[in-house]
Amino acid sequence: MQKKGFSFYLKIYCKILAQDLKSKMSYRADFIISIIGMIFTNIAGFASFWILFRNFSSINGWGYYEILFLYGFSLVSLTPVQCFFDNNWSLRMYVYSGDFIKYCFRPINLFFYYQSEVFDIKGLGQLAFGIGTLIYSWVKLGLDFTPLMLLKMTVFLITASLVMVALQNAAAATCFWINNSFYVLDLVTRFKDYAKYPVTIFSPVFRFIFTFIMPIAFIAYYPSLVILRPDEIPLLSWLSPLFGCMFFFLSYKFWMYGAMKYSGTGS
Amino acid sequence: MNIKKYLALTRAGIMESLHFRLGTLVMTAGNLLYLIVVYFLWKSIFASSETEVVNGMTFTDTLIYLVLATALFGFMEMYTVWEMGRNIQSGKIVLDLLKPMEYRSYLFWSYSGSFVTNFFFTVLPTFIVVGIVTHGAIPFGINLLFFAVSVTLGVMINYSIDFIVGTICLYTESIWGINIMKQVIVLLLSGATVPIAFFPEPLKTVVYYLPFQSIYNAPLTLLLDVNPSSEAVLKTIGTQIIWCIVMTAVGKLFWKISLRQITVNGG
Repeated sequence: MQKKGFSFYLKIYCKILAQDLKSKMSYRADFIISIIGMIFTNIAGFASFWILFRNFSSINGWGYYEILFLYGFSLVSLTPVQCFFDNNWSLRMYVYSGDFIKYCFRPINLFFYYQSEVFDIKGLGQLAFGIGTLIYSWVKLGLDFTPLMLLKMTVFLITASLVMVALQNAAAATCFWINNSFYVLDLVTRFKDYAKYPVTIFSPVFRFIFTFIMPIAFIAYYPSLVILRPDEIPLLSWLSPLFGCMFFFLSYKFWMYGAMKYSGTGS
Repeated sequence: MNIKKYLALTRAGIMESLHFRLGTLVMTAGNLLYLIVVYFLWKSIFASSETEVVNGMTFTDTLIYLVLATALFGFMEMYTVWEMGRNIQSGKIVLDLLKPMEYRSYLFWSYSGSFVTNFFFTVLPTFIVVGIVTHGAIPFGINLLFFAVSVTLGVMINYSIDFIVGTICLYTESIWGINIMKQVIVLLLSGATVPIAFFPEPLKTVVYYLPFQSIYNAPLTLLLDVNPSSEAVLKTIGTQIIWCIVMTAVGKLFWKISLRQITVNGG
């Protein structure tokens, strides 16, 4: 296949995005209800958090606003996976019914084309909620606000989201081998809720697992240390951009490997 | 009433879910992983508190409560809203309505097989593991009987709520949004995310007057109570029975009225 440039893909993405939004808009009630549902999810997440801190003042040496910062950080870094990679949830249906084969016949990158088909606008509500939480805890913690900090935040937010995208890709791609990958995806989704707690609460063995095997610690904990505890940043925090890219690359390869193996259902 | 036709559906359900063994396996593994996360999280939360007992609950109590709540959630989750929503959208519901059985019972019994398999593959293993981890802290006695009765009632209340929410899909033709709203509300207000004992005061009283706490909080409270007073047991189970009757009646009535609403495009 001939290599195509970045601008080519960007142009295609915008075109597909416009079509997707048009089709979503035709189901207006569903659209509005989904957005309300998303707001509900965020409020409930915040409520359980608030209830917890009504009873306990800190977790493992982390205060309320610090955990709130982690929470906001995880919300923002989970937005890309919600917005751009939501089609992963339908992958098992396409593979099962055989419709997946249609993606294999396009002269563009298979992974790109598949993911670009759905843009989930609900994620934007989560983004707003996350940014609000971040700013609130930022002010309450009395952190400085400099362009350098902003740059650091942006870089680490992007890499954190790459980790989550990688986890979801890998989970979704399991459907090329097993029938019902829904449980795997659901499991990964449930675990991302725990990304908002510091990984230090776990024993060394599980700290290792959640850092390298199921890397949820990179979604909020390691990247936020750079902002929250600038005096004692572990090496892993600085390495997290590298890990983010690496995990993403691995998951992409895994996904593509599964897709290339796919032989259709014969219909 | 001929019970045989219902049991035939149960049998088919068991066979169907045994066909997807891997899904069950992943779910069990997921529950165990979740147990680990909850264990460490609450251990460090309790370590940060000055007292061993918070709101009448020790660390072990909280652990048993939360892990079993999740196991029960997996056990009770019937994806009713999804099933109804999809059937309404695809028009398959017309075929189900023609069956010589009330739609409400048909849906329930066709899923009932999964209760059997879920019980043996997820609830029981989780129960045993929790027992081992907490060194047999789950009290064995008459409370197990109350627990079983209470869970059965919980299943019925949960199904009734699901059915009502699923009926709403007839009007909105939205599945995801409606379902996520229901799930979030039920999980938070039933005590599955944070035990209800931890809720701050006005909220706690309000939650006790809502039907949701009868799903998870009621059976789990009965399970953890070593010496239950007959008054407390009667009150809890009585509340459940009342909710069960009310929600079933509301669900049936709502469905009857809404049935006229169905529009199916073509065949």
